Amino acid sequence: MSRKILLIDDEVGFTELLKMNLERTGAYEVRIENDSTKALATVRSFMPDAIILDVVMPGMDGGDVQAQLQSNPLLARIPVVMLTALVDSTELSEGAVAQAGSQLVLPKPVNLPLLLNVLETLLVRA
Amino acid sequence: MEKHSIVESVLDNLPVAVFAKDATNDFRFVLWNKKQEEVTTIRAEKALGKNDYHLFSQESADYFRSVDKAVIKRGSLMNVPEEIIETKHGREVHLRTIKIPVHDAETGRTLVVGISEDITEHVKSREQLERLNRHLVAANQELQQTQLQLIQAEKLESIGRLAAGVAHEVKNPLALLLLGVDYLAQGIHPDDPNIGRILHQMREAVERADRIVRGLVDFSSQRALTREPTQLARLIDEVLLLVKHELTRSSTKVSVRIEKDLPLVYLDMSKFEQVLINLIINAVHAMEKSESKVLKIRAHSESLEDVVKNQGARKREVFRSGDRVVILEIFDTGHGIAPQDSGRLFDPFFTTKATGVGTGLGLSVARRIVELHGGELSLKNRENESGAVARLILPTKLETGRIRTRPPDPQSEESTPAARKERKEIDTTAEDLTP
Repeated sequence: MSRKILLIDDEVGFTELLKMNLERTGAYEVRIENDSTKALATVRSFMPDAIILDVVMPGMDGGDVQAQLQSNPLLARIPVVMLTALVDSTELSEGAVAQAGSQLVLPKPVNLPLLLNVLETLLVRA
Repeated sequence: MEKHSIVESVLDNLPVAVFAKDATNDFRFVLWNKKQEEVTTIRAEKALGKNDYHLFSQESADYFRSVDKAVIKRGSLMNVPEEIIETKHGREVHLRTIKIPVHDAETGRTLVVGISEDITEHVKSREQLERLNRHLVAANQELQQTQLQLIQAEKLESIGRLAAGVAHEVKNPLALLLLGVDYLAQGIHPDDPNIGRILHQMREAVERADRIVRGLVDFSSQRALTREPTQLARLIDEVLLLVKHELTRSSTKVSVRIEKDLPLVYLDMSKFEQVLINLIINAVHAMEKSESKVLKIRAHSESLEDVVKNQGARKREVFRSGDRVVILEIFDTGHGIAPQDSGRLFDPFFTTKATGVGTGLGLSVARRIVELHGGELSLKNRENESGAVARLILPTKLETGRIRTRPPDPQSEESTPAARKERKEIDTTAEDLTP
């Protein structure tokens, strides 16, 4: 059974290509939300198994979206991977991924194998 | 009193030197008045009956003789605006002289009558003035150079502030590229409908990153003020690209509306980007606590009669009645200008921002750049709404002299009427700026 992933990011081209990459694995059904102000409504209607969330967005940034998710007990359980171009890319060890809770911050440009690994870990745990 | 002595008395009391030479007798002096004695320091009794070669240096005498001969040949008055004689004390006397040929029918002699005015003091004052002027020009050039250095220093400051945002904007297309590579690296199937889309997105990402980096490199380049015919709309596009991160991060909506067929303005792109970046960043900072953050950029052209009534005297010195000007306005919805600050906004080092956020040079440098372009920059609160508006008035003509300029290139895309017509009114929001 494929898992549902929601991409929340204002970068249209980036979300389009990330969706193609994720869906190509055959493991995921991906939906895109480019308008962060509509993120919560989309989460409610789509009820994803995991969320990939950009940090710097107009309207509502990733932190605001995250805070809204956390304030709702039902949605707070959904694992979130935050992506940002604001941090430098550093190697995330397997151990770090294993030790992380239901949230992780990954640098942009994103390392696809690492992202897939992180998603699997979070989804198994969820 | 005899007729002869009346004439002599008049001649001796004239404030100008008068002399006469007999051209028919080796140009020997036959008249030498008191003022001529004073000017040459040669007494009449020593001069009369002698010629220039007896009284002055060979070089001077040659010159005087050549003029005298020319006067006789022409048969009419000759004006010598400036000539120099050296007195026996070694003093140089500057004279303005009129020489007139006179034919004395009674004696059959042809005379050269000279009337000289001592202009030594004038010449000295003039030379002193010229010297002062040269100093002034040099000082002014030095000042301009210093100002350009200050402009560059302030620009480097703002590049520092923009760098993080620009890096973020470049990372986004890079992230997209990497995803494209990851997808393609897993094998390319000719039937895969995604391939074309991915390649298209990758190409756009490369172009976007290139445009951002090129914009920053152009902006940071240091060169003398070079004004070129510029489409204001293009300039605004480039600036919005450089500040996109600041606008996105602050959730500022942007609305740009530019009059169709707006005349070209003669701008130094790089320096003017600096002005607009300063004004936009100021506006963004001013809106930090505002609920609605809207940056409105408007540009239109006006004939100067339309604006002159409400403007100060200074503007009438800069622009002439009937001049076509471009008005660029940047409106924000921020806290506006506090009454106590309004008089100091353009003072160097005046800032209302926290230490480390601004140097206080932004607006003073921006105004200086606009003035170097023959334009005007003012800043005031919006009428009937909260927020401030920065208003730029720019000439559509290139005045000469002050600044190095480059004439419009008829081949260039921007200067063709067709290219200008292409730019229609545009209305966009921050999100629309993503290529």
